[in-house]
Amino acid sequence: MAFLPLIKGVVFAAIGFLLGASATAGVRTLMHLDAWSIEPVVTMGYVLALVGWLLGIGVWDYWAREWLGLKPKEQVHIGWTRFLRFNTDHKVIGVQYLVTMLAIMLLAGLLAMLMRVELAAPGETIMNANTFNTTMSLHGIMMVAVAVATVMGGFANFLVPLMIGAEDVAFPRLNTLSYWIVPPVAVLLLATPLLGGFDSGWTAYPPLSVINASGQLLFLLAFLTFGFSSILGGLNFLATIMMLRAPGMTWGRLPIFVWSIFAAALISLTATQSVALGLLTVILDRVAGTSFYSAPNGGNAILYEHIFWFYSHPAVYIMILPAFGIVLEMIAHFSRKPLFAYKWVVGSFLLVVGLSFLVWAHHLFTSGMSDYLHLPFMVTTELISIPTGMVFLSGLGTIWQGRLWLRTPMLFALGFLMNFVIGGVTGIFLADVATDIHLQDTYFVVAHFHYTIMGGEIFAIVGALYYWFPKISGRMYAERLGVLHFWWLFLSYNVTFIAMFWVGILGMPRRVADYQPDMAGANLVVSFSAFVLGASFLVFAGNFLYSWLKGPLASANPWKARTLEWQTSSPPPLENFPSEPAVLGSPYDYGVPGAIHARLAPAGGSDGLTPQA
Amino acid sequence: MPAPARSTACEGDGRRRALKKDFLFVAIFWALLTAVLELVVVPWDPFPLAAAKEAAIVDDAFKLLMVLGIPVFAFVVVAVVYSAVRFRQKGEPTQDGPAIHGPRSVIFTWLAITTALTILVIITPGVTGILELRAHANEPPDLLVQVQGGRWFWRVTYPEYGVSSTRELVLPVDQRVRFEVSAMDVLHSFWIPAFRIKIDAVPGKITTTHATPDTLATYDDDINMRIQCAELCGLGHNLMRLPVRVVTQEEFQAWIADRSPK
Repeated sequence: MAFLPLIKGVVFAAIGFLLGASATAGVRTLMHLDAWSIEPVVTMGYVLALVGWLLGIGVWDYWAREWLGLKPKEQVHIGWTRFLRFNTDHKVIGVQYLVTMLAIMLLAGLLAMLMRVELAAPGETIMNANTFNTTMSLHGIMMVAVAVATVMGGFANFLVPLMIGAEDVAFPRLNTLSYWIVPPVAVLLLATPLLGGFDSGWTAYPPLSVINASGQLLFLLAFLTFGFSSILGGLNFLATIMMLRAPGMTWGRLPIFVWSIFAAALISLTATQSVALGLLTVILDRVAGTSFYSAPNGGNAILYEHIFWFYSHPAVYIMILPAFGIVLEMIAHFSRKPLFAYKWVVGSFLLVVGLSFLVWAHHLFTSGMSDYLHLPFMVTTELISIPTGMVFLSGLGTIWQGRLWLRTPMLFALGFLMNFVIGGVTGIFLADVATDIHLQDTYFVVAHFHYTIMGGEIFAIVGALYYWFPKISGRMYAERLGVLHFWWLFLSYNVTFIAMFWVGILGMPRRVADYQPDMAGANLVVSFSAFVLGASFLVFAGNFLYSWLKGPLASANPWKARTLEWQTSSPPPLENFPSEPAVLGSPYDYGVPGAIHARLAPAGGSDGLTPQA
Repeated sequence: MPAPARSTACEGDGRRRALKKDFLFVAIFWALLTAVLELVVVPWDPFPLAAAKEAAIVDDAFKLLMVLGIPVFAFVVVAVVYSAVRFRQKGEPTQDGPAIHGPRSVIFTWLAITTALTILVIITPGVTGILELRAHANEPPDLLVQVQGGRWFWRVTYPEYGVSSTRELVLPVDQRVRFEVSAMDVLHSFWIPAFRIKIDAVPGKITTTHATPDTLATYDDDINMRIQCAELCGLGHNLMRLPVRVVTQEEFQAWIADRSPK
């Protein structure tokens, strides 16, 4: 029965919830408080429901069985049902993450479409301000989750062990745990409308997030849980990359994608703990009556903004560093040239990690924090242009004089460069205090971060899906539909968000359900173009769904790329490689006579070593 | 497997000549695209009504960044499009490109240029902009206005006159005004688009900002003459507006006199 583990998980979660909720009600009765006060009851119910869910799925089985002296359960490694149950194979977890995150992405994209319907004309069209605020907030947090976990959970899981020549990640069971706490996050977020929704955006600034509807509590619990998953993922990838590289895979021979995951994992592990603290204190203010952020009781609302952005600015580099890695990876292989300035790019990644912790207060230029902080934070923010510039040099230097193969993934990589330079240049307007004072909280900001995250990271992710789809599914996607999707998306994307800059300069505040009639024309352009953009994803979804079921079988290395994941079958076997690869050189030595990245010995014998160029 | 490209000395010469031509073309296209975009942008005025001295500083800074940003944007666009057209292969490449790993001279030149650009055209205007905005921060203002934000309204108070209003903000032209902003419940943000000033209203704290209105205008003339809440504060956030009217000194005194406690 394929769905048995999931059903068990749901049943155990329900039992856990009832236990947690009634225990809380019991304690509250003893304290002479209103027993069934919703927020404390839901909070404690959720904690035990999460434990019950994981118990039902079987995440605790291994540890519990070992402790009790029982035999560990055999895992199912064949058939599609393995994706619906506990499985420690990093490739299964990678696919679980990818499918979950893509589903969330399409759903959050649909929410964006609803917002654009509302904003297509001034006045109330399809929803009131409260529904709009919840829709907007949900779109925000769901897309943030997609931006964080599609690469760090999906691609990194599937690819990092393959690319470094390992059998799995360092902590496979921890890895499974970090995936299985993600579905409850989605359930909590989708349940927020049942408790009145939440109208504080994904940033959840108190005091608003302390006094608004109880949907906010579900949001806070979801974000906190998601952060936990992100911390565990970061830890796992650091350990994997440090400890499990195949013989000869020195730091100087690591594929650039693996380096980008290493850099992003440093941020995931450390910065996420800061936002967890921020979310926890808001939960305590709501549920336990503390007053971290309540000014009349000695709290300080700006404190939260600092804690929140101390994570959330570095978090944009959790999103964009792996995107740099993906794009440079694809550019090198599709240009058939060595990655230009490889070691300098690695240095730039690490510099970005360091700088990312020193820029957070540029989100606070109008917050009322001390004026003397403006200048240093402006300068640190603007310094990030230098390492980012190095990434551009690497990309442009690699395609220059290359032998460019313009398949769909390469188109997305080049599209990334064009979009991201717009995201970067417009970022300067927001780092500059004088212009930011006016532009802060307007659509200019909305357009800017969509250029970096959507035009940047999502373009990289979509490109990566086309690039690694044959490896993951064992089948080829339809190239013509891929090219069609690229041009459709690239054009509609740019029209939509360029127009949004315009709306922002005109002075339209962000996060509003309505606007003055003089902005009607510009908003109609944005909405119309956004619908065209949304429709392009039908091509994308159709292509992948059909190709996964019926596409032509893919060879092991359809791109003739040199990195290790392409030197094993598509999809790779359970143990990834027939035997441990021996790494002999850089993965990017295209055009270097006789250069070899790695040798793979076939299983069961030492004769006939198969070198590959 | 594509074979690595091998070249004889003669072919190498040819390739160098072709490469020189490629660089020349990129430079020409870059100059052209930059010129065209600058011609569009320099005379362009995308800004809403500017009705205060501070607005000019912000608009000038915006314009400057736009003018400086265009060559960077144009360079990337031209380099990508030119390479994609010039170096594309028909179908799968049959050989590898040249094994260029990144000569130090190119990397150091690039680093020197990007660092210089960052300091000269990004950081320098930013710093001078801040200093310009803050130049008079400590000078006593001509008029003090206290602004309170609450869900979902604004109250403005003129403490020197004992007058307050929740219907409009009236300011005398050419007088430097200090706004002392506070919040009653949650975060709000005090923003007058036509003045290009914005500062959050924070519970338990007074934040300040300054503006010197220099144009007689009202909300009825231009919707940017309003206080607009810019920090999401719940259901009525978008409607948390207050019309702003800039009047002559005499009209201002008359307006105050009308409302003063007798």
